[in-house]
Amino acid sequence: MALEGTLHDMPLPDLIQIFRMGPKTGILLLNAPRERGVIYVAAGRLVEAAVLPYEGRAIVAAHDEAVLHMLLWEEANFVFRHDLAAASRPARIIRDAEWLVLESVRRRDDSTHLLRYQRLTLDTRLQLSPLPQSADHSVSLDVRQWRILSQVASCPDLRAIVQATELPAQQVIQTVAELVAIGMIEVIERSRSRPAHRERPATSLSVAALGGGADVAAGRTLLDAIMRRVRSL
Amino acid sequence: MHQIKVVVTGSYSAGKSQFIRTISDIEPVNTDYAVTLAEERALKQETTVALDFGTIAINNKLNLYLFGTPGQERFDFMWEHLADGCLGYIVLVDSCRPAQLSETQRLMDRFAEITDAPFVVAANKQDDPSALPPAYVRRRLGLPLDVPLLACTGFERDSVKRVLLALLKQVIATTTPP
Repeated sequence: MALEGTLHDMPLPDLIQIFRMGPKTGILLLNAPRERGVIYVAAGRLVEAAVLPYEGRAIVAAHDEAVLHMLLWEEANFVFRHDLAAASRPARIIRDAEWLVLESVRRRDDSTHLLRYQRLTLDTRLQLSPLPQSADHSVSLDVRQWRILSQVASCPDLRAIVQATELPAQQVIQTVAELVAIGMIEVIERSRSRPAHRERPATSLSVAALGGGADVAAGRTLLDAIMRRVRSL
Repeated sequence: MHQIKVVVTGSYSAGKSQFIRTISDIEPVNTDYAVTLAEERALKQETTVALDFGTIAINNKLNLYLFGTPGQERFDFMWEHLADGCLGYIVLVDSCRPAQLSETQRLMDRFAEITDAPFVVAANKQDDPSALPPAYVRRRLGLPLDVPLLACTGFERDSVKRVLLALLKQVIATTTPP
């Protein structure tokens, strides 16, 4: 069994985040159209990486540079397999994952590729990430990133952050994408509203399902009976 | 004899048939056929094309029926029939296939159009150490905090029970006046 997908389904910064959340230990294999890469992960930390061509054995990039190289890939399939052997590999990646993600943005000068499944607009709502950050290293943010991060808790959406910081909207969007990519903040998705296409009130459905016209008390009695039975299984 | 229906839904290969098999009193009735599409065959050899059906006898007056929907969107015409009059529904997500997250979002939107029954989400296949953490699944699905999301291993009865009980609690929460 393994975690499998494409970078379109799950960008590499997200993978790095879930390695830390686990924390996970194993080997991530990536197959891009022209190259393939491998990253070894030990207890959530990236410890070793390499990029190789499909033909030949010459290493295209290794260690930190290999991770940066892979962070720039647009298309690739990936497989992450749990493998405790990765924990015994010597740590050859010096920089922490957040630095590598932010450096890949600097090299590319475009952070929108970091969030392929999310589109940031001025109406996007944000919150500070509740995910625990790894305690063994700190994140180095620049002044602009700190400035925007400090507004997230008090501003209801991206538009308010633009107004509060007086930075250009595109710059704020780029910076927010960076902060989302390293797991400092997260997008609050639109709530899943239920279209009112049915005439019946929402609370009557379950009662109806429980006996076609039975009252709430009778429905509750039946639900209690179901719960007792399920608990006893 | 009262008959109560709970629907188990989710994307292709999310583990719906196994979920029902784990908790059902009877050997589930299923309508599996050989998978024809190559990309789907890479995940499993047989798939549900109409429904899975299992039961839990509550007492001599009450049966709980579990209906599993077919996962592929091309069979979504079945979802409306299966969801009609259900007590609630369970959305299963394969925690090892990130590609399913956007499919699951579409499925949840479709179910919200079909029924206003309460639901819970189960991040399945959590026995795999490489599985996506439930917190990440919640974030990617854009799931509000008032919708329970549970870690689940579909072939473990205790895990399936926890999901079913969470759904029943959600039903009680939505039927009990404040």
